Amino acid sequence: MELPETIRKRLDDFSRNILFDQSRIVTFTEENDGFLPHEKPVLSSLQLQMSLYFNMWFFPCWWISETVMLHLKYPALPEYYKFILVTILLLMTLIEAIRLYLGYAGNLQEKVPELAGFWLLTTLLQLPLILFQLFNEAILIQPLERGVHIVLIVFILIQAASGFAALRNMVRHTGSQFHLQQFD
Amino acid sequence: MSAVSSLVPARFLTLIAHLVIVITIFWSRENNVKACLPLDFTQEQYDTEDKKLVVGLGVTLGLFAIELTGFFSGVSMFNSSQSLLSLAAHCCASVSLSFFVFEKWECWTYWVIFACCSVVPAFVEILLLIAVVGLKKKPL
Repeated sequence: MELPETIRKRLDDFSRNILFDQSRIVTFTEENDGFLPHEKPVLSSLQLQMSLYFNMWFFPCWWISETVMLHLKYPALPEYYKFILVTILLLMTLIEAIRLYLGYAGNLQEKVPELAGFWLLTTLLQLPLILFQLFNEAILIQPLERGVHIVLIVFILIQAASGFAALRNMVRHTGSQFHLQQFD
Repeated sequence: MSAVSSLVPARFLTLIAHLVIVITIFWSRENNVKACLPLDFTQEQYDTEDKKLVVGLGVTLGLFAIELTGFFSGVSMFNSSQSLLSLAAHCCASVSLSFFVFEKWECWTYWVIFACCSVVPAFVEILLLIAVVGLKKKPL
């Protein structure tokens, strides 16, 4: 299952031109890094891969806890929060599944567009949603929810930090695979 | 037998289950504190027992930090004996602490669970950390 080509191109442009401005960064040559000319450095990040692996195992526990707690506190919530919390649960489930898949593909296969998509989903979507779940007292946060949300937010923060570092390394060491079509 | 395929995620999940329950008890300890006080208790008695339980929970979190450091840094991640010991201890702790919350057990039972299921794995973890970092043995 591959991301569509247009999305991959846009994410690649975003990483190389907006997130990391390559005009001011000196691109490393192989000799500077001290590698043998025919050796390529490993660009996958171990910390990111570990956090993705354990996040994947933790996700079903989080999902079951969250669903049971929502079911138990549902009658006590005001009407608008009932709708909001069900929507947030669905969104977080979908985003988490897509995010973990993109993180795996981007990190293990050293693909910049997938890793950029993973990083954007993590910091721009998942992080605000989990902060809302953890700090908005009006949704009647239960102790068990606090426990599982704290673990998930630690995972998300570690992935945001290590994902950023991995993306920066990957952008520096790889050339863009989307070249300008000059003469059609 | 490959330790990575089943032992590492199993140990991780039991560690996290125990951790989540300890965090949960931080917020729901009122019933347990009341269970170990006489029927007519003063506010000072309540505060004393409450503080003791909070100290116990805090020390548990500290021992968790030690064990998670050893686990995620790779020192004991692939060590089958420590993994099995940790798996069994934290599994017992998770089940016991669930009973602690649901059945509103008294405060002294927490110390029993703490001694058996938090101190033992953390102690072995410290031994492993000293062996690998201090004595430069191999982590496996």
